[in-house]
Amino acid sequence: MLLSLQWLREFVPYEGSAEALGDRLTMLGLELEEIVHPYDAIRDIVVGHVVECTPHPDSDHMHVCKVDAGQGALLDIVCGAPNVAQGQKVPVALVGTTMPGGLVIKKAKLRGMPSFGMICSERELGLTEDHSGIMVLPADAPVGARLVDVLELDREVLDISITPNRADCLSVLGLARETALAFHLPFSIPEVPLVESGSDASRAMSLEIVDPELCWLYSGRIIENIKVGPSPMKIRHRLHAVGLRPISNIVDVTNYILMECGQPLHSFDMDRLDGRIIVAPATEGETFVTLDEQERVLKAADLTIRDGRGPVALAGVMGGLHSSITDASTSVFLESAIFRPATIRRTSRRLGLSSDASYRFERGVDQRRSLWALDRAAAMIAASSGGTVRAGVCKAEPRPYVAPVIPFRPARANAVLGVELDGEFARGTLEALGCGVEAEGGEWRVTAPSWRYDLSREADLIEEVGRVHGLDTIPPVLPLLERNLDDASAPETSFSFWMRVKRWGKGLGLNEAVNYSFVGHRDLDHLNLPREGRISIMNPLSSEQDALRTALAPGLLQNLRTNLAQGATGLRLFELAHVFEADAASDTTARETSMLGLLMYGDRYDCAWQAQGDAGYADVKGVVEHLMAFLHLGGMTCTLAEEHPYLLPCVQVEVQGRPVGVMGRVRPDMADAFHARKEVWMAELNLDDLFAMHQKAAIHFQSLPVFPPVRRDITVMAPASLRAGDMVACVEGMKLPLLEDISLIDIFEPEHAEERNLTFRLTFRHAERTLKDAEVDKLREKIAAALVKTLGVRI
Amino acid sequence: MDLLNELESLVPELERGSGQAFSLAELEELRVAFLGRKGRLAHIMSHLPGLEPEQRPAVGQKANEIKARLTAIVDARRQELEAAKEAAALARFDASLPGRAPWAGSLHPTTLVQEEICAIFGRLGYDVATGPEVENDYYNFEALNMPPEHPARDMQDTLYITEKVLMRTHTSPMQVRTMLSRKPPLAVVVPGKVYRRDSDLTHTPMFHQVEGLMVGEKVSFAHLRGTLTAFLRAVFGADTQVRFRPSFFPFTEPSAEVDISCCMCGGHGHVNGEPCRVCKTTGWVEILGCGMIDPAVFDSVGYDPKSISGFAFGLGVERIAMLKYGIGDLRMFFENDVRFLSQFV
Repeated sequence: MLLSLQWLREFVPYEGSAEALGDRLTMLGLELEEIVHPYDAIRDIVVGHVVECTPHPDSDHMHVCKVDAGQGALLDIVCGAPNVAQGQKVPVALVGTTMPGGLVIKKAKLRGMPSFGMICSERELGLTEDHSGIMVLPADAPVGARLVDVLELDREVLDISITPNRADCLSVLGLARETALAFHLPFSIPEVPLVESGSDASRAMSLEIVDPELCWLYSGRIIENIKVGPSPMKIRHRLHAVGLRPISNIVDVTNYILMECGQPLHSFDMDRLDGRIIVAPATEGETFVTLDEQERVLKAADLTIRDGRGPVALAGVMGGLHSSITDASTSVFLESAIFRPATIRRTSRRLGLSSDASYRFERGVDQRRSLWALDRAAAMIAASSGGTVRAGVCKAEPRPYVAPVIPFRPARANAVLGVELDGEFARGTLEALGCGVEAEGGEWRVTAPSWRYDLSREADLIEEVGRVHGLDTIPPVLPLLERNLDDASAPETSFSFWMRVKRWGKGLGLNEAVNYSFVGHRDLDHLNLPREGRISIMNPLSSEQDALRTALAPGLLQNLRTNLAQGATGLRLFELAHVFEADAASDTTARETSMLGLLMYGDRYDCAWQAQGDAGYADVKGVVEHLMAFLHLGGMTCTLAEEHPYLLPCVQVEVQGRPVGVMGRVRPDMADAFHARKEVWMAELNLDDLFAMHQKAAIHFQSLPVFPPVRRDITVMAPASLRAGDMVACVEGMKLPLLEDISLIDIFEPEHAEERNLTFRLTFRHAERTLKDAEVDKLREKIAAALVKTLGVRI
Repeated sequence: MDLLNELESLVPELERGSGQAFSLAELEELRVAFLGRKGRLAHIMSHLPGLEPEQRPAVGQKANEIKARLTAIVDARRQELEAAKEAAALARFDASLPGRAPWAGSLHPTTLVQEEICAIFGRLGYDVATGPEVENDYYNFEALNMPPEHPARDMQDTLYITEKVLMRTHTSPMQVRTMLSRKPPLAVVVPGKVYRRDSDLTHTPMFHQVEGLMVGEKVSFAHLRGTLTAFLRAVFGADTQVRFRPSFFPFTEPSAEVDISCCMCGGHGHVNGEPCRVCKTTGWVEILGCGMIDPAVFDSVGYDPKSISGFAFGLGVERIAMLKYGIGDLRMFFENDVRFLSQFV
């Protein structure tokens, strides 16, 4: 809401600065965004008197003027405007003045005649679009005075952001009330006298409200014999200052009243109506051209103003083109009404058509001021257009305003606010806000003023008392918390678990990434992810964000592309986030699963100066194994998965026989799209399952062995297709009590060879004595024989 | 007594020789030549059996003495040479060679801030809860006193899944879920992702919030002020000024926006005479919204608004991270450029 300080002062004698007002209103809940100075660019323009005006000797349209601009000597100014004439008072830009467009006025010669300044048009001054000639000022304008002072322009405008509950402050009137309250100043409304004439208006216009729930009050006046033209300068400049475009002396007045009193009005060309006004829902599917020349298809939920032939306005949102005021209009039907807020909001939202009127109707307009605003506007239109106001008002008020009576307990207010305010303060505050107060006993009866739709409950009044007292002056107190004995043994929260896993990832040298939860269907398609079960966004910002992710891979791969573009040669990212799938059984229709995503690419070390190799399967598996150890989860197994949308090979990770996720290499053709030049290894693990298993897992201490181990290495020549795990399983299957461990320590894999050599280290130990070399050698032989026999390998 | 003289003469000879030995290998050669099994000393001693028996003890004694002296000479020279070798190696040691660094892990700045906030409230006795990101209209709006067609819904542009299901626009639906599942008194903070249909220089369609609420029998606005003042000073420093401005949220009343004194200019509005770009010369930075829980919200969760009161607050994690770490561009949070991420170790 743009509030002109000068306009405000017509209602309340506030003498302080715009800054001080802004600060005070801010602390009352009406936040100052900024102070703008709409006419600052022309503050140096002065009033000049055209003492002489003679035609330019070398031009057929220019004049050479001698201008008294209060500078002592007369100034020679060459002027090209057709309307310049001797004796005029005109705005003059002196040499050195910077114009609104940035042009600096200099001494010049125009067709040989020297010129010391410029006489300006309204457009050159940024006042209006008028460039038909220079601006001519009132004859009594003092020579040499500043134009901004002479025109009484609104030079200080406060941009105040109004919260949805304070519809009453969407007007100068409302903000004047708050200013009066804030600075203990009197508040008064300058009256505009209304003169009526002729026969009663209601005879010229019939009025019918079809559904009283949708239109609580409708009133209209007729102004005849108008002459449509520009508004008086003051109205035009004032509207311009608060961001509205001046249109005509009729429309400008409706806008002026809207800004001043908060009541939206509409002016119809009386001759375009058939003598009837019907407030009724639209007929489903009918079309209607609004003022902005758009054809609208209406729905039965839209409220219209109609005559006998069809819609003439979308109630509270926008008027119709056909019945709008034109230069040829001679009489006006002026409407002031109150509509049901939700109806206006629904239509405005559906059509994407928000106007100053709909914005106010949605939030609530003061019904008790509706007729007053109509009269005020009618009087102003008559004055600005030379018209006459017909006697009487066409009016129907099927739902008169009833002020709510609200119970208010001062003790409750103190308890909620945490302060000790005396009753007199509460009472004085409520009365100053316009409430009626019956302050008797512990529970008062408070009547809210008609402009405060937001006051209907005790909590609303407590807020008002707190707001005026100053929320910032309530003393801070740290509350005591009551806790339950059981709280101490509550299980770990998932937030805490997430934090521990994140800290694990960080400690391991991974960088935590955070990606948007939405991606494009395209991104999921690219990775072959199933379409079934995906959740779409109904109103996405773009097609790149139209689906909820079903895997973390799209985001992490996108991050790979981003980092490769920045020259990264290695990347180790992790992300903890929800993935989403449709689930009819969920109360939100979505199943959200916590996932841990890992991406490893390129350099093993964060440096480039020594050969180090690129991340591979062993790296990603090592990290996953490390996580399982961190979570006290043993028994992790890895099996090659048959098929996976975007991983090849894809390894299924199982813990305690339960699948918990996958790891593998992103298919090269898919990785290519992210500009990967090396292998991209990823893992995606279900963190919800791991958390559940982790909560049941515990650390079991095993006593340390007393006797030393004996180690033997064994190298197996095996077909390349035989898995290391099979050999380990074969040995473990022998269940040798003295074999403590078998691990792969080396592998030799010549290219293209059909065999490879695997070296395993066997660790033997006896719990009660030191083993002898001979018995260990015997065991090694036994193992070798078993491998040869079972798997057909060579030793 | 020639043998005695011969023995004695070994000492100056070895001294000379060792002075010219410039490597450990040369020195070893010299040692073997003098002290080895076939060395000079052994050679002289091989004449011992030819001596008169009464002369032998004197010569033997002398030989032991000479052997000790010769050994000492070699040892001394060896120490010198070893010291020189070490010094030479040290002189070649290049401390400026790069390290073989493991990757430095990092936590996302939003994680760091969420963790810090939850830790502070944890110390104050709050529980941490989390909830779904896809949410019902009911929990996100209706139960929070925002029925359909309420103009306050304009304050939050919403991403919808269906007419009745949406991406939560704030963490506040967890107020409702928490109160429905527990009995007062309670004190909970809820960190999490939230979503708005908004994307420009200062808005991303996803960001993080932390919601907090305390509900009990005598919870007042003074408690809200105390809690948030203590919290903000813990995050931004003990001399941070905190300002409560009346505002409006449908689910709290009274509602307030909380400003802190600008951490860039210290609340002066200018830095070295230049207008402060963080607070735009106001000296204040908006940091969170809060208020006393609206009775309508208590109604929708079945608490008695006559006997129960409570406060709630919600704060933007990215905003705090930007102020705390001096991050100028919001969009960087979700690009996951490692040059950005790795600064938050």
